[in-house]
Amino acid sequence: MGKGENDVIVIGAGVVGAMVARELSRYDLKVLVLEAGSDVAEGASKANSAIVHAGFDAKPGTSKAKFNVWGNRLFENVCKELNVPFKRNGSLVLAFGAEDEKSLADLKARAETNGVPVEIIGKDELKRREPNVSDLATAALWAPTGGICCPYELSFRACENAAANGVEFAFDAKVTAIGPGWTVKCEDGREFSAKAVVNCAGCRSDELNNLVSSVKYSIEARRGEYLMLDRDEEHSFSATMFQVPGPMGKGILISPTVDGTVIVGPTAEDIDDKDDKATTYLGLEKVKEGALRTWPKLPLNKVITEFSGLRAHETTVGDFILGEAPDAPGFFNALGVESPGLTSAPAIGLWLAERVAEKLGRDRKPATEISHDVSSWPVTREMSKRDLAELIKREPSFGRVICRCEEITEGEIRAAIRARVGARTLDGIKRRTRSGMGRCQGGFCTPKLIEILGEELGLPPQAFLASRKKAPKALVTRAAASDADAVYDVTVIGAGPAGLAAACAAREAGAERVLVIERDDAPGGILQQCIHNGFGLHRFKEELTGPEYAQRFVDKAEEAGVQVRCGTMVVEIVPAKDGERLSTVTTMSRRYGLEELKTKSVVLAMGCRERPRGALMTPGTRPAGVYTAGTVQRLVNMDGIMPGKRVVILGSGDIGLIMARRLTFQGAKVLACVEIMQKSSGLMRNVVQCLNDFDIPLLLRHTVIDVEGREHVTGVKVAKVDEDLKPIPGTEIHFDCDTLLLSCGLIPENELSKGAGVEMDPKTRGPKVDADMATSVPGIFAGGNVVRVYDLVDWVSRDSEIAGRSAAEYAKGISA
Amino acid sequence: MKLICINCPRGCELSVTETDGGISVEGHACPRGETYGRDEYSVPVRMVTGLVKVAGARRPLPVKTRQPVPKGKIYEITNLLANTTVLPPKSIGDVIIDNVCGTGVDIVATANYS
Repeated sequence: MGKGENDVIVIGAGVVGAMVARELSRYDLKVLVLEAGSDVAEGASKANSAIVHAGFDAKPGTSKAKFNVWGNRLFENVCKELNVPFKRNGSLVLAFGAEDEKSLADLKARAETNGVPVEIIGKDELKRREPNVSDLATAALWAPTGGICCPYELSFRACENAAANGVEFAFDAKVTAIGPGWTVKCEDGREFSAKAVVNCAGCRSDELNNLVSSVKYSIEARRGEYLMLDRDEEHSFSATMFQVPGPMGKGILISPTVDGTVIVGPTAEDIDDKDDKATTYLGLEKVKEGALRTWPKLPLNKVITEFSGLRAHETTVGDFILGEAPDAPGFFNALGVESPGLTSAPAIGLWLAERVAEKLGRDRKPATEISHDVSSWPVTREMSKRDLAELIKREPSFGRVICRCEEITEGEIRAAIRARVGARTLDGIKRRTRSGMGRCQGGFCTPKLIEILGEELGLPPQAFLASRKKAPKALVTRAAASDADAVYDVTVIGAGPAGLAAACAAREAGAERVLVIERDDAPGGILQQCIHNGFGLHRFKEELTGPEYAQRFVDKAEEAGVQVRCGTMVVEIVPAKDGERLSTVTTMSRRYGLEELKTKSVVLAMGCRERPRGALMTPGTRPAGVYTAGTVQRLVNMDGIMPGKRVVILGSGDIGLIMARRLTFQGAKVLACVEIMQKSSGLMRNVVQCLNDFDIPLLLRHTVIDVEGREHVTGVKVAKVDEDLKPIPGTEIHFDCDTLLLSCGLIPENELSKGAGVEMDPKTRGPKVDADMATSVPGIFAGGNVVRVYDLVDWVSRDSEIAGRSAAEYAKGISA
Repeated sequence: MKLICINCPRGCELSVTETDGGISVEGHACPRGETYGRDEYSVPVRMVTGLVKVAGARRPLPVKTRQPVPKGKIYEITNLLANTTVLPPKSIGDVIIDNVCGTGVDIVATANYS
């Protein structure tokens, strides 16, 4: 996705851009699609009538007529190839009286010139075919080649197939400048170049054309409002019911959809704002009024939603503007593609791709090299019971229904996210799977959907609630087609405060692609379970709890455009060898399986772990009920599980002290805190506020000499120790307890560091680092508790920021 | 009265005495220490952090008192929290219980919960 690598840039990933890209992918061309929105089909392609027009209506001799009729012929085959629904249900144009019937005759003549088969049928035949039609309809024009399809599904699958053939996509890439040659600049500073540009920018295609050509065009956004009826009405009409067209379009139609719902609309209103897709009271009234003419018993109580879409109406010529701009060689337009744009799209794609390939002198790829893959996944609601049962046995996630109205399963939703050009927003899932499109319109499934989005894309679920259609910022920098091919500037291992601080600092220091890999399901690290206060006094000048402190860094990372991939474990780091530029980080995750990522630099931020019981050599049985303090902290604070009622704590580390208070608050009795040394190893303030406040005895120079209980802890024996820390006979105290907590220190977690060949400091048990937090291995830096165990998270984030900056500087020194 | 300040890891040893003009604090390294000493002598206060149940979920929601509350109220508050269930979603700073146990202080969420 770098500069200067592309042959063709397609601007716009609506149905036209998708079809153009797919056809281009069949030539020996490197193609990049830039889309201003966060997804495919974000403009007119997601909100239109979904009709495949027969072509009787377009003025003979125009591009509209030519491409409509050609596109209609291609449609069936294209839908078959892309595995999307299409139905030739036929179209009827209704006449209400003699004047309309005259118009029908004109339409029939037009149809014949255009080469479209039609016939005029009388009232009785009409009523026989469509019993719900108004008694006032006197005749109709029947066009058997008219059809219905799903425009956004068509766009998605066309893009999937294009991606399968090597086309790359960049979203949230709004083009603001185009320079000769061609250089394309985006609003956010990204810059791309290519030998040819295809302008499929819908309502904004005039603006792009006018940047490079002296032949100016002007597009008006023509808004159409629609109503959608419940599946109950599926059989109300079999054909698409038009009325005699007027100057602004084809009037209000009623049509079954391929999904079984019924679409009613649109209005036609020219508006100034090319983003204004609001529905209006007056607009919807017009839709009803028009529809009632065709269908007097229109059941308004069956409306499940209303929406509006914008058509790109060209005002100077009033036709599609297709082909190379006369004074801008290599700049191709698909401009003013309003109705019948959807029908024409396959033909426009075919024709434009041929023109572009001709211009660049490229040949078609041999048929054997063209992939027909469209990233299909099983659609459970269309499967036989037997097949479904087998699928669920193989893939249980296809047995968990997420959207109950449309019966969409978890497996389908995950597949839609994992597709080549996958969903990254709630709307993206909705349009790919129909989840949230049914009666409840997302009322029940939204919480589950954001959870799955969060899991799949490595972000907190609430990140997907900020917008239904705009992808979270953190995802914008994510690679276009495949993450595996990407080269990261800085890869940070661990999304605790150390890792997040390092990643933010690396972005601030100019590193472009910064990835944080986290094994837990959410970023924040151990602070998520540290629900007590006392964090951030130095950094934020206020006392925060752990989750609050973590959230500040999570937010900061998202704003900084850091990618965070959760649920992913790093299993190996292989540093760049002499003569190599890149290190390899091997990761494992449910989503990607085993994957090798390439990176210019690495920041180690894995934190630390607790010393377990074995390391303490406490004698006695090995019953359940012995935990490290941090484990209980997670059980209580995050899983809502209390492990016991009567507790003894061995060791007086800070986590042990904090847990003495927490367990007391949660209703347990903490009998004693036993410390072998002369003074507490935790902070004095924690002794005061966690033990003294609750009269919990701190037994200094004592240790646990026996753990009792076969299955579960039933008690512990504690004794005083002498100068050599040996138990003194006769000083034993017995405690009846069901839980023993260990809080005897933390150990930096450095298995990965050692595997990468990083030199360790035997005293801190972390990597040896210099003032820049660089380890002994070039390109590997370290920050936070992985280096040494800190008292304060503020110093963790401070030192990790140094590591992040150093890593960014190091990455800059490595050629792209 | 001898005290150890709990405001930061430094843990200053404070000496608090009553004088004619009021309360005098010595041994503090910052103004927060002086305030702590004075409060601890007259009305000791503490921040209370805790958990409330979330309807239909196992994971609890962490909460805190927005300001410190009198020490004597701690158990009353933790008992109340133990019997509190909230409905998601909640965001950091959302008020969970207002004026908890008549202290004039609100209990607020300390994590985003969806």
